[in-house]
Amino acid sequence: MNIRKLAWKNLLRRKSRAVFTGLGIFLGIATFVAISSITSQMEGAVQDQLDRFGANIVVSPRAEQLSLGFGNMTLGGTEVTYSRLTMADKERIASIHHKDRIRSIVPFLVTAADASGKNLVWMGLPAADVAGARPWWKIQGGMGLKRGEVLLGAEAAALLDKGAGGTVTAGKRLFRVAGVLQPTGEKEDGMVIADIADVQALAKRPGAVTYFEVAALCKNCPVEQIVAQIGQALPGARVSAIRQVVESRKAAVEQLRRLGFGVSAIVLLIGGLMVLVTVMGGVQERTREIGVLRAVGFRKRSIFSLLFWETGWVSLLSSLLGAGTGIAVAYIASPVFGIEHPSVVFSPAIFGAVAGLSLGLIGAIPPARRAAALSPTEAIRSL
Amino acid sequence: MEPIIHLKDVSMVYGGNGTRTTALAGISFDVLQGEYLVITGESGAGKSTMLTILGGLQVPTEGAVRIGGSDLSALPADGLADFRRKTIGFVFQAYHLLPYLTARENVMVPMSPERVPPREKEERANDLLASVGLAGKEDRLPSQLSGGESQRVAIARALVHDPPVLLADEPTGNLDSATGEQILDLFSGWHGRGKTVLMVTHNKANLSRATRSIRLRDGQVEEDRLLQSFSAEPAAV
Ligand SMILES: Nc1ncnc2c1ncn2[C@@H]1O[C@H](COP(=O)(O)OP(=O)(O)OP(=O)(O)O)[C@@H](O)[C@H]1O
Ligand SMILES: [Mg+2]
Repeated sequence: MNIRKLAWKNLLRRKSRAVFTGLGIFLGIATFVAISSITSQMEGAVQDQLDRFGANIVVSPRAEQLSLGFGNMTLGGTEVTYSRLTMADKERIASIHHKDRIRSIVPFLVTAADASGKNLVWMGLPAADVAGARPWWKIQGGMGLKRGEVLLGAEAAALLDKGAGGTVTAGKRLFRVAGVLQPTGEKEDGMVIADIADVQALAKRPGAVTYFEVAALCKNCPVEQIVAQIGQALPGARVSAIRQVVESRKAAVEQLRRLGFGVSAIVLLIGGLMVLVTVMGGVQERTREIGVLRAVGFRKRSIFSLLFWETGWVSLLSSLLGAGTGIAVAYIASPVFGIEHPSVVFSPAIFGAVAGLSLGLIGAIPPARRAAALSPTEAIRSL
Repeated sequence: MEPIIHLKDVSMVYGGNGTRTTALAGISFDVLQGEYLVITGESGAGKSTMLTILGGLQVPTEGAVRIGGSDLSALPADGLADFRRKTIGFVFQAYHLLPYLTARENVMVPMSPERVPPREKEERANDLLASVGLAGKEDRLPSQLSGGESQRVAIARALVHDPPVLLADEPTGNLDSATGEQILDLFSGWHGRGKTVLMVTHNKANLSRATRSIRLRDGQVEEDRLLQSFSAEPAAV
């Protein structure tokens, strides 16, 4: 028998009170852990997209739209391109000051052309760069792209009624279908993808490039500087950092996280007050018991630590339970938040458990002090 | 011989604003080690008040209290707690066991703030329970014990630190006379082993076991009577 065990026995005796005491902490920690592990997974997912989308800078020609009364239509000759990009521009991009930060420069040529009698958009890129530039593509038929071959977007394949091993004619040329992309939900679903040289030949625009995708080695890299340097190297080009787009999505996640923190902070505060109130009530109810303990020689400090331990046990258990529940809720709810591969994030759980424990203990201080200050005679008076 | 308890002009006035109750009005007496003192008096005479002052549970508004060499009014709060633990064993009319603890655990409660191996605490509790005739009932809860048995547990708890002074406030008040006699036998036994016993009682029959009686009236000593001689030396156990 020691103070710790005495506290434990006391809790077991008043189970419903103990449950009520721990409820606030439990809810607060569960909310906190669930929200922070969901947001951190969302953040991870956004970061994932960022990394997956290997390129983080797009270099395209400066274009101005003609006002022909077509509003914002951008297809079919409403754009006048002032300066065209060519394959030679790759060398210029590759020679900027921060060139060692550039992992890859992939030229793309996009053009409308005939494909087995249908007018489709062709997207050309160096065949060898397909895997690096579009690592998330899942290609049915599985073979890599070579010159003289095409990949078909899912809709294009359906439209042409072609599959891997089939052929597509374009003008007088014949392309073998190397594979069909699984739907990506993006524009390439309707495209024919081929080696850029083939597309240049098809468009009769040798060396032409619609845009470059530049992948900078980018963890904390100076994107702005790289953008500026490419802009200097190619004065006629528009250079934009995709990262900024992703960054704004991260900001949205961050807002969600802050909201979550706010909610959990309020719930936790209420939890702390619940501890204070229930433990305080317990002290009143136990005046006589505390008097007996004082009569048998407990120092004030022992009374204090008795109440402290009681709350400690409750806070510890409800924090751990809350953390576990939070993890479980986050795991179950993650599909709702668009997290494809839910995982267990431990750091918010650990932080939450510690926070709940400390909060419970802080909430126990005033009643514990009050109990310790109780005059033994006041308590003994009922003897 | 230095008295183990020394009271000098002890007064206790309760309350402040409005109602003031004088529970003790200038009490002085000494108690020698090994005395068995019975305190009687009508309800409200100040018996419990005096016992709580002797037990260091409250400090008198006036006067000096020395017990076992300590001046209680000079002790800090922790000092008083230590005094209660080491010097005083308290037994109450209503037992005041903790209902959620077994007999053994109740006896161990006063030891719980101490860093002593749990085995030692348990053995000590078992020995004490055996000495009050409760061997085999160590694991019972108070609700599973009779009144007399509960009071035995309370006595074992009071004795856990082997205090020289036992203070009992109507320890047989809730018991039938046969059971009460058994409890009084226990006190007599401990008195025989050298403990100083101070017992508040309404029961005149208790006087036969005591060495001295004090009767209080309106917070004053009305009568102080030696009943029989006593051994100042602890008898062989
Ligand atoms: N904490 C207190 N506050 C105010 N008055 C008190 C307090 N404790 C005792 N009294 C008063 O002091 C007087 C003495 O009380 P005490 O309890 O010492 O009497 P007692 O002799 O033990 O009586 P009983 O035989 O009924 O137990 C009573 O008038 C009582 O009302
Ligand atoms: Mg009384």
